[in-house]
Amino acid sequence: MARTLTFKQGFHDGLPIFIGYFPTALAFGLVCRDLGLRAWHAILFSVTNFAGSGQFLAASLMGSGALLAELFISVLLINMRYVFMGAELSRKLDPAIRGWQRPFIAFGTTDEVFSVAVLNGEMLTASYLFGLEGTSYLGWVGGTATGFLIGMILPSLLQLAVGVTLYALFTVLLTQQVRQKGVKALAIAALSGGLHTLLSTRLAVPVGWSFVISMLTATFVGAALIDEEAGL
Amino acid sequence: MSPMIPILISSLATIIVRLLPYYATWLEKLPPFLAKSLRLLPIAALGPLIFPGVIIDYPGRWWAGLAGIAVASLFAWRKNGMVIPVLLSIVTTWAALAL
Repeated sequence: MARTLTFKQGFHDGLPIFIGYFPTALAFGLVCRDLGLRAWHAILFSVTNFAGSGQFLAASLMGSGALLAELFISVLLINMRYVFMGAELSRKLDPAIRGWQRPFIAFGTTDEVFSVAVLNGEMLTASYLFGLEGTSYLGWVGGTATGFLIGMILPSLLQLAVGVTLYALFTVLLTQQVRQKGVKALAIAALSGGLHTLLSTRLAVPVGWSFVISMLTATFVGAALIDEEAGL
Repeated sequence: MSPMIPILISSLATIIVRLLPYYATWLEKLPPFLAKSLRLLPIAALGPLIFPGVIIDYPGRWWAGLAGIAVASLFAWRKNGMVIPVLLSIVTTWAALAL
C-alpha cells in the first residue's frame, strides 16, 4: 500500500520553503517601505497575493505609476504559469479532497509548493497540502512583516545576498531532478532558461509572456523528443 | 488613490489563474501527448525561474548569484535536503558581493 502523506510530512517538506521565503519576503517588505507604503499595506499584499514574482512586479508597477489595467494584465501574465502548474497539481489530488478545500489549495499553489508537491510523486492529500502550503504561507507573510519592521538594520550587502535564496531553492530542485532522471532533465531546464533569458533580455518580450513561451516550448520539445521508457 | 486598490487588483489576477485549472474540467481529459507534457512542465519551469533572474539581480556583479547557486547545486548533488545548500548559497553570494 502506498504511503499516505500527512500534515506533519507537509510541514516537514514546507520548512525549506519557509526558510527560502522568509528572506525573500523580507526583501519584499523592504521594497514596500521604499515605496512609501504602510506596514499593513505590505502585509495585505502578501496575505492576499502570496506570489513572489507577481508581487515584486506589482510593487514596481505601482512605483512607476502604471494604470490599473496594465497592472492587472502584467500580473496575470507573469502568473500565467500557475494555470499549467495547477492543472498538473490538480491531477494528483486525493479524490477525497472536499469542494470547499479546493480553493484554499489552489490559492496556496506557488512555484515552490508546486515543485515540491508534484515532484514528490505521491497522491496529494488535503492534510499534506495544508501543512506544506501553510508553512510556506507563514514564511511569506511573516517575512514580509519582519522585513518591513526590522529591514532598516540589515546591512545592504546582506539584503542583496539573501535575494539568492529562491534561486538556490530552484537549483536544488533541479539538481535532484537531474540526479534522478538524468541529463535530459537538465537539457529541458537549460532550453527553457536560455529561451527566457533571450526573449526577456534581448528581444524585449514582456516577462510574463516570455516565461510562458519558454516554459511551454521546452515542455513540448522535451515531450516530442523523450520517450516514456526514458523514465521522464 | 489608496494603495489598497492596486494590491487587491494584483491579488485578483493571481487568484484567477490559480483557481482556473481546478474548475476547468476539460483539463482532466487530455490526449496522451499533453498528459506527458504536463509531467515535464515542472522541470521546464525551473529553467526560467532561475535564469536570467539570478544574473540580472546582481548588476555589476553578475557572478555573485551564480556562485551561490553553484555551491547549492554541488552540495545537493552529493546530499539530500534543502536547508543547508540554501544557507550555503546565501553565505557564498554574500562573500562574492563583499569581495
